[in-house]
Amino acid sequence: MNPLDDKMRWLEKAGDVDAKAPQEMHGLLVEFDSPETLLDACRKVRDAGYTKWDALTPFPVHGIDEAMGIRMTILPWLALGAGLTGLAIAFGLQIFTNGIDYPFLVSGKPLISVPAQIPVAFELTVLFAAFTTFFGMLVLNFLPEVFHPLFRAKRFPRMTADRFGIYIEAKDPLFNRQQAELLFTRLGATGVEPVLSRTGRAPMPVMIHGVGLTLTLLALIPPALIVKSRYSKSDKPRIHIIQDMDFQERYKTQSAHPLLPRGAASMEPVAGTIARGELNEDDHMYRGMAGDEFVRGFPMALTESVLNRGQRQFAIYCAPCHGLTGVGDGPIARRADRLAEGTWVAPTSFHTELVLEQAEGQIFHTITNGVRTMKPYAAQIEVADRWAIVAYVRALQRSQRASIDDVPPDIRAQLAQ
Amino acid sequence: MVTITQRVATLDNTSDDPRQRQPLILGNNDYTSITEKVCGVVEDPKVKKAWLIAFLIAVSLTGMLFALVGYLIVTGVGVWGNQIPVAWGWPIVNFVFWVGIGHAGTLISAILYLFRQNWRTSINRFAEAMTIFAVVCAGLFPGIHVGRAWLAYWLFPIPNQMLMWPQFRSPLLWDVFAVGTYASVSTVFWYMGMIPDLATIRDRAKHPLRRMLYGVLAMGWRGSARHWHRYERAYLLLAGLATPLVLSVHTIVSFDFAVSQLPGWHTTIFPPYFVAGAIFSGFAMVVTLAIPARAFFGMKDIITIRHLENMNKIILATGMMVGYAYAMEFFVAWYSGNEFEQFAFINRATGPYAWAYWIMVSCNVISPQIFWFKKARTSIPIMLVIAIFVNIGMWFERFVITISTLNRDFLPSSWGYFRPTLVDLGMLVGSFGLFFTLFLLFLRFLPMIAMAEVKSILPRPNGHGEAH
Amino acid sequence: MQHASTAPLKVEQVTLSGSTMGLAPKMMLLGLVTLGAGLLLDLVAGPKGLYHFAHAYLLGYFFCLTIALGALIFVCLQRLTKAGWSVVIRRLAELIASTMPALAILAIPVLVFMHQLYPWTHAELVENDAILLGKQAYLNMPFFIGRVAVYFAVWIWIARKMLTLSLRQDESGDVELTRKAERLSAPAVILFALTVTFAGFDLLMSLDPHWFSTIYGVYVFAGSMVGFLSVAILGVKFLQSRGVLRDVVTVEHFHDLGKLLFGFTMFWGYIAFSQFMLIWYANIPEETIWFEHRMSHGWGWVSLILLFGHFVIPFGGLLSRHVKRDARGLVFWAAWQLVMHLVDIYWLIMPALNLAHGKVGAPGYAPALHAGFPLHVLDVLAVVGFGALFVGLVMRSMRGVNLVPLKDPRLAEARGFHNF
Repeated sequence: MNPLDDKMRWLEKAGDVDAKAPQEMHGLLVEFDSPETLLDACRKVRDAGYTKWDALTPFPVHGIDEAMGIRMTILPWLALGAGLTGLAIAFGLQIFTNGIDYPFLVSGKPLISVPAQIPVAFELTVLFAAFTTFFGMLVLNFLPEVFHPLFRAKRFPRMTADRFGIYIEAKDPLFNRQQAELLFTRLGATGVEPVLSRTGRAPMPVMIHGVGLTLTLLALIPPALIVKSRYSKSDKPRIHIIQDMDFQERYKTQSAHPLLPRGAASMEPVAGTIARGELNEDDHMYRGMAGDEFVRGFPMALTESVLNRGQRQFAIYCAPCHGLTGVGDGPIARRADRLAEGTWVAPTSFHTELVLEQAEGQIFHTITNGVRTMKPYAAQIEVADRWAIVAYVRALQRSQRASIDDVPPDIRAQLAQ
Repeated sequence: MVTITQRVATLDNTSDDPRQRQPLILGNNDYTSITEKVCGVVEDPKVKKAWLIAFLIAVSLTGMLFALVGYLIVTGVGVWGNQIPVAWGWPIVNFVFWVGIGHAGTLISAILYLFRQNWRTSINRFAEAMTIFAVVCAGLFPGIHVGRAWLAYWLFPIPNQMLMWPQFRSPLLWDVFAVGTYASVSTVFWYMGMIPDLATIRDRAKHPLRRMLYGVLAMGWRGSARHWHRYERAYLLLAGLATPLVLSVHTIVSFDFAVSQLPGWHTTIFPPYFVAGAIFSGFAMVVTLAIPARAFFGMKDIITIRHLENMNKIILATGMMVGYAYAMEFFVAWYSGNEFEQFAFINRATGPYAWAYWIMVSCNVISPQIFWFKKARTSIPIMLVIAIFVNIGMWFERFVITISTLNRDFLPSSWGYFRPTLVDLGMLVGSFGLFFTLFLLFLRFLPMIAMAEVKSILPRPNGHGEAH
Repeated sequence: MQHASTAPLKVEQVTLSGSTMGLAPKMMLLGLVTLGAGLLLDLVAGPKGLYHFAHAYLLGYFFCLTIALGALIFVCLQRLTKAGWSVVIRRLAELIASTMPALAILAIPVLVFMHQLYPWTHAELVENDAILLGKQAYLNMPFFIGRVAVYFAVWIWIARKMLTLSLRQDESGDVELTRKAERLSAPAVILFALTVTFAGFDLLMSLDPHWFSTIYGVYVFAGSMVGFLSVAILGVKFLQSRGVLRDVVTVEHFHDLGKLLFGFTMFWGYIAFSQFMLIWYANIPEETIWFEHRMSHGWGWVSLILLFGHFVIPFGGLLSRHVKRDARGLVFWAAWQLVMHLVDIYWLIMPALNLAHGKVGAPGYAPALHAGFPLHVLDVLAVVGFGALFVGLVMRSMRGVNLVPLKDPRLAEARGFHNF
């Protein structure tokens, strides 16, 4: 015998604590050697009116449900219910988290966008239904079952391999050992064996309690640690897991540097040099000035395409405040009026004398550098576009003060009608 | 009885005579011998040398994988070759590859079950095991791809310290749910299928510890017909649920690519095309694993040439489907009149990754064509070579899709060329190590053939056999 | 285990009686008259009427074509998989597919009405449209007509081959014929996949020639299977009411047909959702416009009817095993899904009528100039006409033919089979 087996004897003993306890008849195990004889016997047992009995087979034998009179399980309904629950939970979860509790707009999709919720809804439906199917099967079968008197029967082990059995419990009102044995021998049984069990409830082996308690306690440690760190404060710096991401070997803008001039990491351009494309010598073009005066007139020729460009850029950058006609009624201005918070400086109308009289250079200057609460737009709008906007502002002003003389002669007649 | 089984033993079961269905199990097998054979592998006290060597190699590769993962986490994702514009590189390729491998297991256990393909019983157990181990390998890559892997729990809808919720309109989050559901449902399905076989091993066990361990796993199963009734209903329900599930998983993986607006990724055939490709690669992997396993463990009469031939037919069919998708993509790219779309495909076939594209086409579309010939379908060396080709080809398919679209940005100034680093290569090899470690452990300690199911299709001596 | 009746088959179980056969010419006449009435009606309505008639004709025509195509691929797939259970209904599918030559003749009006149907046939439109110019190599009239001819050549060839192999076996009982059909089925499926895809592209997708979708061929296939399976269930029930196929096609076969119908309902939903989801999510204007046409101007309701009627409701209805094994339940859902398949094709074709109307007299291929929901009596006439004509054609093909392949080597297996 294997020496290990000796050491493991305690295990068998742990299971055999009740071996000497008083025994009683639990049932009768009958063995068959083929599914056909089993099926025949099942029909006979069913017809004889037994109620507490079962067949034991190593694989699902077709036709046995009918032969034993087993009714359809409710498992499909449980799975259906669970699937619908999963579906509802999935939609509820997505609507609540992304639509209500944390509304966050992404890629132009609605907050509650049903098509995008379908994949998760489908997965949770399947997950709930599948788990319910599996655990429902176990629960309906009263599994897991730690012990059953059959496990002690000598003929039982082969019934999960290559033999078939019928087990009639002693609890059955029709149970009569002699009669049953006679019946089965006639039906072609290859063996009959009484199964005994301990009277009363078997005590739980001590080991199971110990192992269970230890596992439960161990399982409580991680959540306890999480709760602790969630509700405690620490003055230590956080752990830097990725060292070279947190501490990068480079100098940041405006940080000190020991070797460079002025002791700064950022350096100035060499004196007397200008970067390519940044000469900007033309005062009219780049500053709208001639000497100390704002210039009247444009640095470029005014064509239709310039005005179209101006119109587009105006609509993007200016119209939100000044409005599409330039009277100062853009959506932002209107909202500010509605809120009436008192901190708002109304945008200037372009059709006031103040702006009408300004030189083109000054309007350009305003766009470039801002005025009052209007911020400078030099960073957003190209120089040429700024001039195009100025040209469009002039066109807007003209449009609001137009006379019949501005209309081409051939269209005047149509207007007169 | 003797005469029947003897005739069966000498029969070539790959014949296609329509007058009679061929037996699925050869040899003089009956309930007893199937039990002996399958349980014998698990009960063998001696460790076979070949198994041990394979296991040691696999374990050391797994060790390398985890060492590299540790290195990656401590250093950052810069150790990979991923670099703008190819931000989704090797790890995503590996993820899609491994998820795809998994699909064949579910297909065999669920879809073929619904289609009453009884030949699946010989191979479903280890195909399902393969599914689970492949999903384990797959799950690793997105987990470490997020960079700060310890914050991966932000993916789950649990209240976190930022008071934020995950973004349910993102396909990457759908992936979390799809792969998570797939992994757990496949595990349940696999485990449930094993319960009766675990009970068989428990009841044969001589050693009390062994009896207790398998007893815990078998959960007190005793083969009651009343239990079997609910068990079979549950199996049918799980098969019905797993079938759309397996389709959804690779569909959602394809959404990762296809809901974007990138040429080469955004095309409506992606969902069924990915599913077909997944089944294709998965069956190739099953064939690759089945050939050595049946030879080594002496299962040639349970996993017969007929089983392999059937799988080769499915490889041929799904290979044609994948070829159809390649062709449709190309045609519609031209037909769309969209120059970016057109460029993306011309670039695939002639650009810097043309070599990968042509490896993909020759392995996936051309090489399985040999299976039109019955000689090739039933020849072990040929099918082994083709199955390995298909595995390679399907890895390259994901490589081509991911890389060849990303390496050509809309702005030519942003174009780049992806090169894997040694860490990339090491992780791919290491993931195979992890897969084989788990698989070898499974072969040794769990019943690799679904005994109960195989027994239910054995021809009954004096009844009507169900072998069709 | 109980077995279905394996008693030898009687003549009235396998052939249609003369009185029922008499219906065939009546149905065909009814169909032709209805279609003719439609044509007359539209001529009265003027040029716009002709546009509507062309689209209504395509609607009825494509509806019947998909059913025949579904039957054809069903036969090929059963042969390819060496299926046993389906032997008892395979002959019906073979006969439905054998209407292919008649359907080829009925395709000629589609070619005649090309101008009314397909914007890309208008040279002046193509000249001013860079996208259409780019597609000219594919979308031009000679090539289009040639392609349609090739599709029908392939389909007629497969359908005829499958039917004659099966009929010859009725006489000789030669097992080799089964093997021949099985060998033929693999290349047939490949040819079928390619032809159906491109037929879908040509006949339906090019109604809106700017738009494209790679999954379109699979979508047409999914719909065809739903259509055919519904027709198969209804057809067998009709034949059984006339005494044919009784005790041959049992509840087990209906259960399987029901399972397939359920499966393809899901498959259709899956493909339709994939197409919608990807286009909706990426939201690229040139693609979303197709769904925009189908979600505005009253079409939104049709889309919702499809979502719920073609997928959600029948999914719930066919889920239960009891429904699939209950004669009335299954017939109800088969009829329902057949109607929904029609709605699906209506939804695919009819929004293009808005484009067509936009074309009339208006320069340029301008989308949705004439918005609105164009349900018209012409649509009803076309569908009823084609329905009657098609039923008549199928019945005519049953003349002097056994409706069960009597000497098929797998007939016994099919008759004795049981679901688990």
